[in-house]
Amino acid sequence: MTAEVVTGVEPAPVTVASRGRSARLRELAPFLPAALLLGILFFVPLGVMFIFSLWTTNANLDIVPVWNLDNYAQFFQTGAYVRTLAKTVVMGGAVTTICLVFSLAVAYFLARYVSRRWARLALLVIIVPFWSSYLLRVYSWQAILGEKGALNQVLMSLGLIKEPSLLFVYNDIGTFIVLTYVYLPFAILVLYASLERFDYTQLTAAQDLGASPSRAFRYILLPQIRPGLITAAIFVFIPILGEFLTPSMVGGASGLLIANLIQTFFKNALVPQGAALGLLIVAFVTVLLIVFRKYLRVEDVYARG
Amino acid sequence: MTVLDQTHSRRRFLQLTGAVGATAALGGVLQACNVIGGGGAATTGTFNWMTWSDHYIQSQLDKIAKDTNINTSISELAGNAEGYAKLKEVKGQLDSISGDAMWVPNAYAKDGLIEPFDINELKVSTQLYSFAREFPYWQSSDGYMAYPFGWSPIMIYYDPAKVTGNPTDWQVLLDPKYKGRVVVENQPEEIVAYMARAAGFDKPYDLTDDQLTTVKGYLEKLKPNVLKFAQQATDSVAAMVSGEAWLITGNLGNEDRVKDGGGPEIKGYVPSEGTVGWHDGEMIVKEGANKALIKPFLEQSQQAELIAENFLANGRPLFNEKAYKILTDQGKQDQADRYLYSKAPEVLPTMVLKGPGTSTDKSIQLFNEVFGAG
Amino acid sequence: MAKAVDPLETMPVSRYAGLTRWGLRLIFAFLVLFLYLPIVFMVAFSFDASQTPSFPIQGPTLHWYDVMIHNRQLLSAVANTITVSLIVSVLATIIGTMAAFVLVRGRLRYPNGIRIAFTMPIMVPGVLVGISLLIFFSRAFHANLSLMTVIAGQLVVTVPFVVLIVASRLQSFDRKLEWAAADLGASPRRTLRHVVLPLIAPAILAGALICITLSIDEFVITWFTVGNQPTLPTYIYTKVKFGVTPEVNAVATVMLVATLLIFGIASVVLGRGRRRLPGRRRGAAPTA
Repeated sequence: MTAEVVTGVEPAPVTVASRGRSARLRELAPFLPAALLLGILFFVPLGVMFIFSLWTTNANLDIVPVWNLDNYAQFFQTGAYVRTLAKTVVMGGAVTTICLVFSLAVAYFLARYVSRRWARLALLVIIVPFWSSYLLRVYSWQAILGEKGALNQVLMSLGLIKEPSLLFVYNDIGTFIVLTYVYLPFAILVLYASLERFDYTQLTAAQDLGASPSRAFRYILLPQIRPGLITAAIFVFIPILGEFLTPSMVGGASGLLIANLIQTFFKNALVPQGAALGLLIVAFVTVLLIVFRKYLRVEDVYARG
Repeated sequence: MTVLDQTHSRRRFLQLTGAVGATAALGGVLQACNVIGGGGAATTGTFNWMTWSDHYIQSQLDKIAKDTNINTSISELAGNAEGYAKLKEVKGQLDSISGDAMWVPNAYAKDGLIEPFDINELKVSTQLYSFAREFPYWQSSDGYMAYPFGWSPIMIYYDPAKVTGNPTDWQVLLDPKYKGRVVVENQPEEIVAYMARAAGFDKPYDLTDDQLTTVKGYLEKLKPNVLKFAQQATDSVAAMVSGEAWLITGNLGNEDRVKDGGGPEIKGYVPSEGTVGWHDGEMIVKEGANKALIKPFLEQSQQAELIAENFLANGRPLFNEKAYKILTDQGKQDQADRYLYSKAPEVLPTMVLKGPGTSTDKSIQLFNEVFGAG
Repeated sequence: MAKAVDPLETMPVSRYAGLTRWGLRLIFAFLVLFLYLPIVFMVAFSFDASQTPSFPIQGPTLHWYDVMIHNRQLLSAVANTITVSLIVSVLATIIGTMAAFVLVRGRLRYPNGIRIAFTMPIMVPGVLVGISLLIFFSRAFHANLSLMTVIAGQLVVTVPFVVLIVASRLQSFDRKLEWAAADLGASPRRTLRHVVLPLIAPAILAGALICITLSIDEFVITWFTVGNQPTLPTYIYTKVKFGVTPEVNAVATVMLVATLLIFGIASVVLGRGRRRLPGRRRGAAPTA
């Protein structure tokens, strides 16, 4: 790997000899709606939130411009926040790992062994359960995993356990199962999009040349779908840092994750305190992304030949 | 690839323009609907009401709309703090909002968001228990701050088959015997307030630092006993029905809800250390464009017949005395009495009323500290 | 298995190929079971007389469907949800795809920085986005809260998903195919239509599906930006004081069945249409 900056642009046979400023502008124009949208409706309001996070709330729950860093200091002074963030990262890592492994298998199956029409139908079948209501699905999981739930009843009628087990829900296992359930379809969609156009004759060719299937998989397939794997990991891991409903519904009293602790402030109209906590999470993830940017790098795998 | 990208972008732009146009058109339609509904003279039209779902019955609203041409456009309310935060931003987009006890003077009125009114000017107010027209904290020089509606103390319910010794206080929630058998609402500031009451503090929303330290000990004992936090009131009921929970906290009437759900006969009590509770009412938003409709609307919607129907539908006591007589006439006095309908003067003093306190921030920090990862 | 295998013996296909295939089929079956198990319960509770969507089962009834039909608020919440999710997914897919093209090919100065900027709306807890939008809409725009503000708010969190997914597809995309098409005399427009778009179609489809899914379930941002037209998640949330009854399960069941029917019919109709165009979709596609 050289250290050059990769821009993803390669010399193309069709080039415009001289690019004026207007040509450059036209090239960037499609970027504008997204930039405006995020600029106006995300970054500006977020800037306001940042300022609020340096202010405080009075007893009347009004945000008052008293500059201070207490809201941030709170995070580091209270061990519970740091520990809960660490726990959330571990939970997110575990869920991301299982989602990636599982969805890679499923996406590979759909892309390689199923005709495109049926594969796309299968994707719809995978995603449609999610077009109802998050809350209702989590209620259903409570009914499945609970003490008097379906799983316990089945296990008991099979004679595998005598007493209903309290192991499946209202603890971290419950949160793990339901979060995996919630994010798996996203990972599958992303990886399928990566794998669909993969030229599988490359794998056969590699094996023809003596590579074992696993070697071919590792050195031919995985590098080419790396952008997809990274995107899938981001789609699962980062939203989990903001998950509060699942942990509070199936995680029990000891299962709260970092977003629950943020949520408690906003529920009570304590905006500065909540904003500071939320922004610390953002800072944390941004640092993670910068540290690992080498692995996230945008590059054109084909262009390297 | 410039040429390719240019063409591409032009195509995209056309598509985008189309989509934006469609959205704008949709917005126009929505706007038109608002105008059609929102205009009109002072005594008829539509007003915007942010309220809890138990404050109205759709068929009643339909009838009022038909009889008087006063239509209601409802934004649903979830919690006091959330409603208050929203009203502070949207102001005149709402004409009326519902709120609990101390939220009314300490948040809404203090901020000048609402308009007090002369409650005796409303004919229907004679149907109220007289004390409900005279809550001292709802009185101001400009009039009464809200039209009183319903109330409830927070109670403890238990399954006598599992919980022995006829508990009467908050301490039972901390008993190690009931590890993982307690379900409480997913409301951190309330959970802290319960424990403050358990510790014997009279102002659970205004705790001193010393008191907070004591409450922390209570919360730490409570934590292992909590099975889960109830997202909705029915979550606690469902946990009791299935037998997963032995002890729950909640509003009046849960013994009926558990029984209706096919669960065991449970018992409920107001904890002896005193409890927290709420009583709510309807406020008039100062900047509301259609606020003139609120009083004529209240005259209709607060009539005893309608309130009695509401009681039977939602099951908690209300402040309309005449409705109690109607319920008695209908042979429903038993039910009304079980819900303490006529017992407000005795029960209200045992409750610390919900409201924004001076220690909210610290209470939340404390909750996070205890219930965060250990 | 320690014995070294002569590479020639494994040609042309690995001896594990059949096994792999069966293993993958099993995994797929397990996946469908895993995804639909809660749905089975969700549907079952809609036919149960019990007041709450939980055990014990009290007996079959169509009562909740009757309640649902007469609950105008619930029905309009569903209609709002569908309207919002369709508009959001169309707009987000278009805006996001356009941005992804420039991000990957536009020689932007700080591609990694911009990429992280596009990841930020996913990173920031939704409640922060929601409350900042509420304050911003009312103070900066004096906007009336309506479905428009809900759509704007949801776009903020859906566009990044489309940008990232389409960009990742564009990166691992063999541009030599494009250049070959151009060399062979295809106009840029034709290249775009017949080479580029089909190649990134799966990513666009995936992006659109993710947008619909996110939009239908989006609660926090919607909660702060919604006016008097609730969506299904905000409707359910506001029942917090007295709880949801299974009429919501009923409406979710109807939505599910309707969606499956629409897709079923569409796939049959489109499948027929496709078969009449022989030879157009061969390419590098693997055969079943």
